[in-house]
Amino acid sequence: MHQLIQAIIIGILIGGVYALMASGLTLVFGIMKVINVAQGALVILAAYLSYALWSHLHVDPFLSIFIVMPAMFVLGVAVQLVFVRSLRGPDASELSLLVTWALALGIEGVLSVVFKTTYRVSLPSYSDTTWTVAGYQINEVRLLGFVTSAVLLVLLSVLLTRTRFGRAVRATVQNPTAAELLGVDANRVQTLSFGLGVSMAAAAGAVYGVIYPFNPGSHYDLISRLLSIVVLGGLGSLGGAVFAAVGMGIVESVVAVEISPIWAAFSFFVVLIAFLLVRPQGIFGVRERTL
Amino acid sequence: MSRAAAFGLARGAAFAGAGIAFPFVFSTAWIVNIGVLTLMYAALATAWNLFSGYTGYITLGQIAFFGLGAYSLGITFEHFGAGSGYNPFYALPLVGAGVAIASIPVAWIALRTRHMTFAIVTLTLLFVVQQLAFNLHSLTKGSTGLMLPTPSFPISSYDTPFYLAMLALTLLALGLCWLTLRSKLGLMLLAIREDEEKARGVGIRVTGAKLVAWSLMVWITAMVGGVWAYYLTFIYPESSVDPLVMIGAVLMTFLGGRGTLWGPTIGALVLVPAQQYMITKLGASQLYLVGYAAVFMVVLLVLPRGILPSLRSGADALRERRRTHRKRVARQGAPA
Amino acid sequence: MKHSPARLATLAATISLAAVAATAGTAAARTTAASAGPIKIGISLSLSGDFSDPGKFAMQGYKLWAKTVNAKGGILGRKVVLDIKDDASSPTQAATNYQNFITKDRVDLTFGPFSTLLTAPSAAVAHRYGYAFIEPAGGGPAVFDQKLNNVFFTQPAPIVESGDVFVRWVLSLPKAKRPKTAAYPELDDPFSSPIAERMRQQFEKAGIRTVYKTIYPSETVDMTPIVSKIASKKPDMIVGGTQAGDGYALVKALVQANFSPKFLFEANGPNSPGEFPSKVGASNTQGIFSASDWFPKAKTYGNPYFVRQFVKTYGGTAGGIDPGSAEAYAVGQVAQRVISKVGVNNAKIIAALHKGKWPTVEGTLHWNAIGEPTGKFLLMEWLGGNLYPVLPKGVATRKPTFPKPGWGG
Repeated sequence: MHQLIQAIIIGILIGGVYALMASGLTLVFGIMKVINVAQGALVILAAYLSYALWSHLHVDPFLSIFIVMPAMFVLGVAVQLVFVRSLRGPDASELSLLVTWALALGIEGVLSVVFKTTYRVSLPSYSDTTWTVAGYQINEVRLLGFVTSAVLLVLLSVLLTRTRFGRAVRATVQNPTAAELLGVDANRVQTLSFGLGVSMAAAAGAVYGVIYPFNPGSHYDLISRLLSIVVLGGLGSLGGAVFAAVGMGIVESVVAVEISPIWAAFSFFVVLIAFLLVRPQGIFGVRERTL
Repeated sequence: MSRAAAFGLARGAAFAGAGIAFPFVFSTAWIVNIGVLTLMYAALATAWNLFSGYTGYITLGQIAFFGLGAYSLGITFEHFGAGSGYNPFYALPLVGAGVAIASIPVAWIALRTRHMTFAIVTLTLLFVVQQLAFNLHSLTKGSTGLMLPTPSFPISSYDTPFYLAMLALTLLALGLCWLTLRSKLGLMLLAIREDEEKARGVGIRVTGAKLVAWSLMVWITAMVGGVWAYYLTFIYPESSVDPLVMIGAVLMTFLGGRGTLWGPTIGALVLVPAQQYMITKLGASQLYLVGYAAVFMVVLLVLPRGILPSLRSGADALRERRRTHRKRVARQGAPA
Repeated sequence: MKHSPARLATLAATISLAAVAATAGTAAARTTAASAGPIKIGISLSLSGDFSDPGKFAMQGYKLWAKTVNAKGGILGRKVVLDIKDDASSPTQAATNYQNFITKDRVDLTFGPFSTLLTAPSAAVAHRYGYAFIEPAGGGPAVFDQKLNNVFFTQPAPIVESGDVFVRWVLSLPKAKRPKTAAYPELDDPFSSPIAERMRQQFEKAGIRTVYKTIYPSETVDMTPIVSKIASKKPDMIVGGTQAGDGYALVKALVQANFSPKFLFEANGPNSPGEFPSKVGASNTQGIFSASDWFPKAKTYGNPYFVRQFVKTYGGTAGGIDPGSAEAYAVGQVAQRVISKVGVNNAKIIAALHKGKWPTVEGTLHWNAIGEPTGKFLLMEWLGGNLYPVLPKGVATRKPTFPKPGWGG
C-alpha cells in the first residue's frame, strides 16, 4: 500500500510537468486547429537552452525559465509566421501535422549536430535532495517542477479568463467568424497564442531537463505521450489536458511499480484506446459539429 | 473499355514490362538493391495513398503494419517454419491478410474519431506495436532482435527475387488503386473525402468503405514489411517500426501528387535514388535529418499538390492559353 | 486530358532510371587497378542518428589506424584508403552500404559498423560475397547466432560475458562476506539484460537469493519507481544490466532514495571515466564496479603508442578516450597483421584468422569457429575518484575493495 501511494505521488509530480507541456499543444489546436507535432522537440530545445545556461553560466535551471520562456515565445511566433500561417485551404490542419513533423525533425537534426547525442541533464546542487514526508519520499527537484507547472498553469488560466487577450482567444476558439466580426484580429490572436503555447513548452522543457536526462531523440517519446494526453483530455480543452496528464502520470507510475516497467507506457495507450471506444471526443472534448 | 482506361492499362503494362526487365538488364547487385528499395517505397507510398489519398483521412500509423508484417513473417519462420527459398514469398499474402484482419477492430475504433484525432491515434499505434515487439519476448525475442534464415538464392542474382517481390507488390498496389477508382468503392471514397456527413446522409456506408480501403492498405503494407524482413534477415523493434521510413513514403506521395494514381510511384522513383546518391556523396555528413526535414518542408510549402497535379494543371493552363490565343487570333483576323 | 502530364512524368521516371543505370555502367566498366594500387577498405558507420556518438568514436579509431599505418609505408607497400559511408543508424542503409562497397566500389576489405544491431545484417551481406568481416562493436548474441564463419569480433569476449569476472570474484569471497540477496534492474536491449540475466543465473546457482528482478524499456528516463521498489527490499547487492544513460540514472535515483547497497555492479555507466562522476556526483562513485574491454593505461600490444597518437591527433586526455576508438583501432591491427601474412585475399584471411592468437590494444585475441573471442573482460572499480582495473590479476593495478561505502563518502 505504501508503495502504491509512493507511486501515485511520483505520478502526480511528473503529471504536472506533462500537463504544462500539453497545455500549449491543446491551446494551439483549439484556436487554429493545428496540431504542433514539434511541441516535443521544442520542449527538448528549451531543455538544451536551459542546460547550456546552467553548464556555461551557472544559471539555476528554474531561474532560467525567465530567460527561456520569452526567447522561445519569440521563436514560436516566428515559426507560426513562417511555417504555419502559410498553410491554407481545406487540407490545412492535416498539412500542419506534416509540416510541424518536418520542423520537429529539423530541430532534432540541428540539436544532434550542435550538442551530439550524448544524454544531458542539469545537475544543480539540490538535485539529490529528497525529503521524507509522512514516510514518503519526495524529491525536491520534482516537487519544484510540479509547483512551477502548477503556478504557470494557473497563470495561463487567469490569462485566458480575465484578460482582454484571453477573451479574444476564447472567442476565436468558439466562433472565429463571429470573433472577427466583433473586431478580434484573428491572425494576431493565432500568432500570439502559438507563441504562448511554445513558451509554456519552454518552461516545461527547463523543468524536464533537471529531472530527466535527455538527448535530441527524446522528443519522439515526449510527443507520443503529449498527443495521447491531449486526445484523451479532448482536443482544445485545457482542463482536459491537465486531467489527462496527471492521470497518465499516475497510471504509468503505478503500473511500473505494481506490474512491470515494460508495460507502463503501453498501459496508458490501452487506456486511451479503451476510452476512445466509449467517448471518441475525449474527456472534455466536444463532438465534432458539422459546419 | 473506354479509351482512357485502355491507355491506363497500357501504361501499367509498360511499367510492369520495364520493371520486370530491369534486374536482368542491369544485373549488378547494388543496382538491383536500389531497385528493391525504390519499389519498396513505391508500394508503401501507393498503399498509403490508397487510404489517405482517397478518403482524406491522414494516417500516421502505416509503418506499424510494416513492422507487424515483418514480425509476422519472422515469427512464422521461428515458430512454424515457413520453408525456404521462394516459399516464404507465397506465404506472404496469407501473413498480410492476417495482419489486415487483426487491424480492423483497431481501425474501427479509430475511425469513430474525427480527422485530427484519427491521425494522432494512428500515430500512437507505432508506439504500441513497438512496445509489443519489445515486450512479447518469447514470441519476438524482444530487443535482441529476430533472425530469419538466409535463403540460398544464387549469389550472382541474390537480390532479384526480392526485387521481383517488391515489384509485384507495387503493381498490386497500383492495380488495386486503379480498380478502386473505377469502382463503386472509389465513388464512395471520393464522396467521403468531399463531405463525409453528406455522404452518410445519402446512405453511403461510410465506415464500411473506409474499412475496406484501410484493409487493402494494411494488407499491402504488411506484405512489404515481410519481404523487407526476409531481405535483411534480421529485424528488431526499432528498425521494424521506423518513423523515418513512413515519413519518406508520405513525402514521396506528396511530392508525386497525393490522390493521383502514379504520384507516389513517381515520388519514389525520384527520391530513393536521390537519397542514395546523397548518402554516397555527402557520406559522412551529419546533416541527414536536417536535409530530410528541409526537403519535406519545401515540398509541403512550395509544391503542396505534388508534381503530377502541378504538371497537370500546368499543362491544362498551357492548353487553355493556347486555345484562348487561337480564339483571340481568329476573332481579330490575321495576327498584327 | 490525363495523357500528357502523366506521360511526361513516366518519361521523366524512365530518364532517371536510365541515368542511374548509366552511372552503373561506367562504374562497372572501371576496373579496379589490382595489386599495385591502394588497399580499399569499406566501412559503414553511424554518423547520424541514434548511434552517432559511438559511431564517431569508432571513426576516430579507424582513421587513426589508417594514418599511422600509412605513415609507416602502408601494408605490403600499399597505402590504406578508408571508404566510410554513413548509415544513419539504420540496418537497411548499413546493408545497402556494404552491398555498394562490395559490388559497386569493389573494395578489398570490409570492416564492421557500430552496434550488434547493424552488424548482424551487414555481416550477412559480407558473408554472401565471401568477404572477411572484422568488426569492433557487434558482440551481442544476435551476431553469433547467425553462425557465420567470416565474423571476427575484436573485443576480449562476447559482450554477454561482461559480468563473468565480477561473478567469479564475488563467489570467491568467504561466505560470510558474500552478499546474501541481490536485485537485478535490467535494460531491455540486446546486450544489457542478457549480461545481467547470465550473472543472475550464476549467482542464484551459488545461493544468492534474488529479491527483485525487473526489465525496463529502453526509453525509460525515470528510475524512481524501480529504485523505490528495490530500496524497499534492501538487497545486499545490486546488479544493473545497464547502458550508460540508465546506468547514470540508476545511481542518481539510488542516491535520491538514500539507499546504498554493499555491492553495486553496472554493466555500463561507471565505465565511462569522463562522464560518470559528472553525471552522478564525484563523491558518489566510490566502490562501484563495472566491466570494460579496454582502459588507457593497459599494457596491451601497441596501446601506449595508440594512446599517444590519439591524444596528439584529436586532443583531449588519455582518460577521455572512448573504448570504441580502441576497438576500431584493434580491427585495423588485426587486418594489418593478417594481410602481411597472407596478402589481400578474403578467403585466406578468413582461414588464417581462425587459427592462432592475434595481439591488439584490446588484448591478445583468439576466435572460435563462429567469431566469438575466447578471452575475458576486465573488472573495473572506482576508487578514490578514479577508475581502475581490479581483475584479472595480470592486468589489475589495484585490488578490489568492498563493501561499498554510503553515498557521498
